[in-house]
Amino acid sequence: MTEVYLYQLASQRTQWLNVRQSLIAGNVANANTPGFQAKDIAPFSTVLAQTQMTMAATSPGHIAPSETELNPPRPADDDAANATLSGNSVDLESEMVKLGEISRDANTANAIKKIFHQMMISALK
Amino acid sequence: MIDPLQASLKIAGAGLEAQSTRLRIISQNIANSQSTATVSGGDPYSRQTVSFDNALDSASGLGLVKVRSIGVDQSPFKLEHDPGNPAADSDGYVKLPNVDVLVELTDMREANRTYEANLQVAKQSADLLNQTVSLLKEA
Repeated sequence: MTEVYLYQLASQRTQWLNVRQSLIAGNVANANTPGFQAKDIAPFSTVLAQTQMTMAATSPGHIAPSETELNPPRPADDDAANATLSGNSVDLESEMVKLGEISRDANTANAIKKIFHQMMISALK
Repeated sequence: MIDPLQASLKIAGAGLEAQSTRLRIISQNIANSQSTATVSGGDPYSRQTVSFDNALDSASGLGLVKVRSIGVDQSPFKLEHDPGNPAADSDGYVKLPNVDVLVELTDMREANRTYEANLQVAKQSADLLNQTVSLLKEA
């Protein structure tokens, strides 16, 4: 039987969504900060494709790179129409749309986890 | 590192705080839009301005928004000829505050809108946390 990595995939997805949520929170909070550039992270598909073996930490002195170091936040797609005189590039409407996307995707990921869990349980019974 | 969802709650909270400070300054400006000096020829109330900054919170390592400074609007005061006013100078002119209520109301709407957006983020972050916890309730 081949192993199923659905749990890992779903939790990676959730992790990615959580990081995105915190970036959106930063964007919205700074919606009126002069010179603030809106941020976003690389799409999940890119993150998944780049998933690599992490270096082994064989001594407590070894420090593994964190999630945000591997996938640093980058400026959101620059849109000339968003540029304001204060140099702020946050567009509240598109941030709200992204917020909706995150909510839907998190629902999906959680539903998958639930269903998969039920499948495991029913196989055990 | 702090959990990203906890982080978004914290960031949204900082946003709410910044916007409420802005609302406080706006209400102060509107309330004082007619406040003249108490002495003859003196300067009236000066409009206050608020500006934000993205500052790193050293405790959590997050980029939070905070009020950078509360400044004073340097634009000139309006003059009105009203010799009977106790604040009138020797020529009978009274200096009125440089507050434009229309500008303040527009600013208020914008502050309101950003406050709501921050509230939405906070609600959703809490909701996502709850969803994750409720995975444990199943089966």
